[in-house]
Amino acid sequence: MQKRNKYTEIEDFLSDESFQSWILSKVDEDNWEEWTLESQQRAKLVEDARLLLLAMKVPDSGLSFSDVHNALQETWMKIENKENQIDLLKNNNLRFLRKYFLYGVAATLLFCVMSVWFFRNTITSTHEVVTYNELIDTNNEGLVEQTNNSDKPQIITLSDGSSVLLQPNSKLSYPKIFTGNERKVYLSGEGFFEISKNPKKPFYVYANEIVTKVVGTSFRVKAYSDQPNVEVLVRTGKVKVKSNELVSSSEQEVVLLPNQALRFVRSDLVFKKITNITEDEVLVKSVGNIEQLSFEFNDIPVSQIFETIEQAYLIDIDYPKEKLKDCHLTTSLSDQPLTEKLKIVCRSIGTNTSFEMNGNQISITSEGCN
Amino acid sequence: MKTKISHTTFDDNTLWGKLKEGDEKSFSILFERYYSDLVSYGNSLSPFEEKVQDCIQDVFTDIWVYRNGLQSSVVVKAYLLSSVRKRIARLNERDHIFRKAASTDSVAFLLKFSVEHDLIDDDYATKEKVSHLNKLLNDLPARQKEALYLRYHQGLTVEQIADMLDVNYQSASNLLYRGLLTLRKEWKGAFSLIALLSSSTF
Repeated sequence: MQKRNKYTEIEDFLSDESFQSWILSKVDEDNWEEWTLESQQRAKLVEDARLLLLAMKVPDSGLSFSDVHNALQETWMKIENKENQIDLLKNNNLRFLRKYFLYGVAATLLFCVMSVWFFRNTITSTHEVVTYNELIDTNNEGLVEQTNNSDKPQIITLSDGSSVLLQPNSKLSYPKIFTGNERKVYLSGEGFFEISKNPKKPFYVYANEIVTKVVGTSFRVKAYSDQPNVEVLVRTGKVKVKSNELVSSSEQEVVLLPNQALRFVRSDLVFKKITNITEDEVLVKSVGNIEQLSFEFNDIPVSQIFETIEQAYLIDIDYPKEKLKDCHLTTSLSDQPLTEKLKIVCRSIGTNTSFEMNGNQISITSEGCN
Repeated sequence: MKTKISHTTFDDNTLWGKLKEGDEKSFSILFERYYSDLVSYGNSLSPFEEKVQDCIQDVFTDIWVYRNGLQSSVVVKAYLLSSVRKRIARLNERDHIFRKAASTDSVAFLLKFSVEHDLIDDDYATKEKVSHLNKLLNDLPARQKEALYLRYHQGLTVEQIADMLDVNYQSASNLLYRGLLTLRKEWKGAFSLIALLSSSTF
């Protein structure tokens, strides 16, 4: 209570709780009475404050203890009512939600059923035929498209070293660089594939309604969008063919071995396996250069090997004829893509031999054979 | 210092904290501690005693029902007074009878400061002075009166008053200052303050 010794204004006293309780409740815990009488000036100030405080008294609420107690009981009842109301409101909201949740579920289900029905109907009626464009749309790897509008087959070398001999009026879409665990290309028309071996990264050719899966081999796929059939003809290795999941969910696979072929009838989504291609007129007729040529060379001059490759892939190979004129090779180049063939030939000639590819133009640089 | 408070066992903030945690006892103690005070304050804002008590009970009801959302650091008394004031103001707004009253500002502080009966014990001169002062006080503008009441009767700080009356700190302290200044001027003219009373009378 030392602060009161510094009080100089009436306000100081007025706001002093202890002073208030002395004046108003006559509870003098801090000996205000004694303190006041210590100095005359102080007594005057205290008196002013006392009068003011007394004049400021407000009428008591006039509530007895039992009044307050009753009010408290009433309040507890109000609380109970309010809490019940809130609970009810919450429940209502919940019921509301639950009700509409069910409606929502029902509507969603109906919608799903209808979409499935609609989807199936449209699939079976109009999507029996899967076109190249639709296939491209399902891939988002950023494809490169090559179209052969010329009247000669065109060679395409893929990033993994595989080569594709693309026939006129055909196009192939393929990623610039194969990423992931699969190699996928999309064909429209006809192409002869020579796939570099990589069992960890199977190679898929999507062509119309069928998918051809290989790990390393050579085969021909003929899938023109305006022709009723899709054909796959295998030269070396082994391929698996199945229908695209866009048209059918069946996991049926057809395995093709060398010199076997498969014809897929697009209108019926049926596979027809041809075990002896020589008996099939259509296939025999369409066999291209590359498939007829033999790549088994036994002590053959390099110039002749290059000639064979030129014929097979319809490319030009430019090589130092003088330097390589006495070179003979024994090698097997079947079942190898173009780049592999070239690599093998160059390696066989000598360490100082290399090749460069520029579209249909190949140039060999060499200092002669060992 | 806290002699005024009968429940000295727990201070307001402790009780408030326990109330927030759902302690019914603390709620009841706070209710009993402040109800009467709030009623007299409420009555100064509205002439309808029934409604005032309703409002105050509603304030407490909301405190309990929405206790989870209460702030933990409040001056309980100021919070209660302020809530009651707002609630009565809102009631006035809603009430057809009070259509004219539109905002908290227009809640008139109707309370008349009164001369206490226990002054009967005092001598006549004292009673005269107190009555005169009382008259002066009651003639003050309502806002000044309310500020004085909240400051010296309810013991709120100037900041809390400013908050309650929705004015800034300076305005609130001006209200108080002007109120007292008027009193003092009038008072000095009317009395010679030489007469000192023996404090034995109170």
